[in-house]
Order: sequence, then C-alpha cells, then structure tokens
Amino acid sequence: MKMMNLLQAGAVALAVTAAAGITQARADAPLVETGSSLLYPLFNLWVPAYTASHPGADITTTSTGSGAGIAQAFKGLVNIGASDAYLSDTMAHDHTNMLSIPLAISSQAINYNLPGITHLKLSGPILAGIYSGKITQWNDPAIAAANPGVALPNHVIIPVHRTDGSGDTFIFTQYLSASDAAWRSTVRFGTSVSWPAVTGGIGANGNQGMVTAAQANPYSIAYIGVSFANQAAQAGLGQAKLLNKAGHYVLPTPATISAAAASVANSTPADERISMVFAPGVHAYPIVNYEYAIINTQQSSPDVAAAVRTFLTWAITEGNSMSFLKQVHFMPLPAAVVELSKAQIAKIQ
Amino acid sequence: MKLRPFRLTVLGLSLLIPAALCAVVLFLVLYSGQAIVFNGLRFLTQVNWNLGDLYDDPVVVHGIQVPAGANYGILVFIAGTLASSAIAIVIAVPLAVGASIFLAEIVPSKIRPALSMLVELIAVVPSVVFGLWGIAVLVPFIGHYLSPNGSGYGLLAASIVLALMITPIIASTLLDALLQVPRENRESAFALGATHFEVVMKAIMPMVRTTLIGGIVLALGRALGETMAVLMVSGGGLNILPTSLFSPISTISSFIASQLDSAETDPTNMSVRALAEIALVLFIITLSVNACAKLLSSGVLRVRKRA
Repeated sequence: MKMMNLLQAGAVALAVTAAAGITQARADAPLVETGSSLLYPLFNLWVPAYTASHPGADITTTSTGSGAGIAQAFKGLVNIGASDAYLSDTMAHDHTNMLSIPLAISSQAINYNLPGITHLKLSGPILAGIYSGKITQWNDPAIAAANPGVALPNHVIIPVHRTDGSGDTFIFTQYLSASDAAWRSTVRFGTSVSWPAVTGGIGANGNQGMVTAAQANPYSIAYIGVSFANQAAQAGLGQAKLLNKAGHYVLPTPATISAAAASVANSTPADERISMVFAPGVHAYPIVNYEYAIINTQQSSPDVAAAVRTFLTWAITEGNSMSFLKQVHFMPLPAAVVELSKAQIAKIQ
Repeated sequence: MKLRPFRLTVLGLSLLIPAALCAVVLFLVLYSGQAIVFNGLRFLTQVNWNLGDLYDDPVVVHGIQVPAGANYGILVFIAGTLASSAIAIVIAVPLAVGASIFLAEIVPSKIRPALSMLVELIAVVPSVVFGLWGIAVLVPFIGHYLSPNGSGYGLLAASIVLALMITPIIASTLLDALLQVPRENRESAFALGATHFEVVMKAIMPMVRTTLIGGIVLALGRALGETMAVLMVSGGGLNILPTSLFSPISTISSFIASQLDSAETDPTNMSVRALAEIALVLFIITLSVNACAKLLSSGVLRVRKRA
C-alpha cells in the first residue's frame, strides 16, 4: 500500500515537473524508515525536529530490527533501512547499488551483577573464556590477575546473551573475535551467533531484557547497549573497564568513545564499511560502532531520492548535534567521516 | 441449472479455510525445499544450531550455497517445545478440572456467571502480559527459592507461564460440558446414596471425558505454538539440551521469532529457508498431537461402550 502510494506520488510528481520543464526536485516526498531498535529512539528525536524545520517533510519510522532494515531496503519496501551493522562483503559486492552510510556512533558496556565491585577490569580473552565456558568462576586466576586487590567471589558466573538478532551481539562478538584467537576461529561474529553451550548461561530478549536478566541473577554478566546505561546503573549493575588494543583498561565515556572514533576516522574507506571495534589508540574504548543507514542508490523517483538526500544530510550535520545524541548516549561522527557520508549520499538518485 | 447464490457463497467461504491451510503448507514445503535437501535428517537429530558466518564468503555444499560454518540442528528446540508443553499440561489439567468442578458443583448458581467470566477473562489476556508477569514475579521467585544455580529463567518458568495461559481454556470448555450433564444423572446417583465426591467422579466426570480431552488438545495447541511469553522467560537455551527444570530452553516458535532478523541478513537466504523448515516441523508436531488426541478420545469412548 505504502509502496503504491509512493510510486503514484512519485509518478505524479515526475509528470508535473516534466510538464513544467522544471528540473529541480522537491524534497517533500514521503519517506519510510525501518530497522534497528537501537537507532529508533534517535529517529524519533530527529523526525519531529526535521519536520519542524522542513515543512512538508513526511517521514514514517518503525522499529523492526537491523536484519529487517537491511532486508526491506534491499526489497525496496523502505527508503531508509537502519542497521547497527554494515553490509557484509558478499552483499556489498553483489549489490553495488546498496550503500552503508554511518549516521552516528554508538557503543556498548559490559555490565555485571557483583554488589560492591563497581569497575572490574576485563579483557576480550577473559570475556571469550566466560562466554565459551572455559572461565566459570568469578575468582578464576585470569580475572584475579587482571584485578589485583579485588575480593572476587567464589561463585559460578552466569553469562547472559541476546536471543534476538542484535547489533549489540554483532559488536560484542567482534570484540571477542578481534582479541581472542580461539573465539575468532570457532564462534566468529554476527548479529546472532551459535553461542557455545555454557551450563547456566541464559539468553534474554532485547536490551531491556538484558538489564532485567542481569539484575535478577546475581553473579551474572551481560553486554548492554550504551543507550541503556542509565537503566543498567539504576539496576545496580557494575560497569567493566575493558582492555583496549593499546593495553589499557578504559570505561565507556564520551572521551574514550570519541578517541576510538577519531582513530578509525582516517582509515574509514569510501564505502564506510569498517569495524570500529578494538580500535587503536591509548584512550580508545574497544566496543564502539557506526550506526548505519542502508540505502539503495536507485530510488523510485528523483523526488524521493532528493528527499532521502536532504534528510540524511541533515541527520549527519544538524542531526549530529549533542542535543539529540546526548539523549540516547550516542556520539557525533568525526568531520572526516561526515565528508565520506556526504559523498555517499550524493550517489542517491 | 438453477443458480443458487447462497449455496455457492457458503461453499466458496468454506473452501477458503482449507485452501489457506494448503497454501501455507505448500509455501513452507517449497520455500524450505533447499534447506530440507541440505539438512537431511541431521536437522532433527543434531543439537548444534549455527547460522554460520554471514559476514564471510558463502561456501557451496552439494551444489547449494550456504554461509560458511552453517549447521542447522533443531533437537534442542523440539525438546524444549515438547517438554514445556507437557509440563504445562500436567500443571494445568488438575487446576482446570478442580476449578470447573468447583464452579459447576459448589458455587451458588447466582454468582457462577461472574466467576466463570473471570476464568474466561484470563484466557483473553495477551501473552506478552503473562511474559511480563513471568519476568517480574515468577523468574525472581524461582531464582531465589527453587533454582540451585540462582537463575529463574528456564523450563520451569516457561511451563508455569504456559500453564497459566492454558488453564482457562481447559476450564471454560469443561465447565460448559459439566453444566450440560442431565440433572437425572446427579439425582439418581445421589438417590443411590453416593457422596458428593462420588457423584462427581462416577456420575458426572465420565460424561464429560471427551470434552476434557478436546479442551486439553486445544490447550496443547496453544502451548506448542506460544511465542512471546515463552521467549521472555525461557532463557533462550541454545546448543544445549535441557537437563533439569531449571535449564534454559528454547521452543520452536520462540526460536523462529528470535532468529528471523539475523537470518534476513544472510546473502544466501539459506537461514530463512532453514527457519521455514523449522516452522514445517512445528506444523507437523501440532498436527500429529491433534491427530493422536482425536484417536485417543474416540478410542476411549469405543472401549467404554463395549464394556
């Protein structure tokens, strides 16, 4: 139905502009966005502000999941697919008309339910050990060695993972793959992975489900998107300092997330499909990622393409101001990346 | 020939339902065809489920393109589905039988409609509400007081939530039947000197046995297919068979719901086909459970008639 309306609107607009001999396209064709539930709150902040400053703009946003965002953008059901993960090499090479355009920067915290221990130091290999069942006790020598002087409980660890497909699972398993050879060769990474069988390990649904599960289960550990940092803190969960590539333990703060973004900005390729996880840099937080818009360069009409270009350009410039991003704990794109995104946006026709 | 618009309309409408059913089955079989060929019987017997590396180049196995490392085994989900539904039935049947006998026999007929409406009301509560209650109340309770490892998510939580959802289905079906038992049955049993308990057990319950089985089948159908509430409290067990009441499990339908989003990013589309094959298996399980129950209820009746 939506698609039909879009096509009709596009066709009518095309006929009108052709008849009048006007080549300039209008920017108020209706757009549909769907995908990442992590990006959805940001789109909900963006769209009212954008509509207010761009009278006539008509953007419908829905939260379905990154996989649905990618799939529906491919099928032409939506104009903008929102995804926490960039397109795979196979998808990008088979469909050169599909773009992965970063819109903002997100990150992830490792939280745990150990009363009294606020900032445990953890590393990729330790987390890989926990999630593959090799490290089962909180007072395991590997955890103790990273945390001298901390009284670790002699209790079984309950690892919590996401059951639903998730960008958080994607960047968490990327961190484990990047820092642990055994994980890289067995489980690898993805929005859903084949979690090794760990006795007592549990799955939870959505970021809120992760917070609830970690809160309900003492001695548990969970990876939680930074948008839910406030809920995790209120639930009394500790936040881990993670070992970065330079060998330092860092917390997810605006400074460490920006440091990671800055260190990847210059190596970001023109198609912007790159992992920011385990970025180099003394202060760089290791689990950081670009949030993407998945866009088909061939939109249904010049009007629709113009509307997509105008909105995306706004999103990565004015939309990247902290007044929007702060509310969902995202960080703005570095200037160099904004230029790359603009170059990609220009390809949308 | 005389045109019979009414007859034709009704015929058309009645054919729609089986046609829709056939269309669904046909779609599932055709869509999952490649997955069925790729998986073979390992699909049903293997514990390991792995979508493979969707970010690596796909590999070709026996002429079929699949993600590298893909392996689809659903024994864990079959076990989770059957175990949680069976336990739910075991919990729900005594509750439902007790509740409906109480409503039919003990409660004064003036307040019976109000109470039976309450029972039916539970049946229309959306499943996500049961899931929320499960997360907020049941899971912490099991974790604190029952579970040896402190985790409340798992088979028991899923079964109890399912039991609560299906109890009113059994109870309301049974209550309707109990109220239809002829007065003469009760009165003649009482006249023979039977106690109230004996009247219920010997004169009334045998009359409603078929209805009870029918209600249980309806309930089982709901339990086998329930998705959301189970997804929220089951602990999402993967690659590991449940060993106790407190083991995390996944059921077939909740697993399809949780995996579909990632499956859609598979460039070979094999992941979605494998999920369609799981749906086919669920369909077959539900059908055979219903068929068994039908046979059971008719068989029981025949034996009784002969005796």
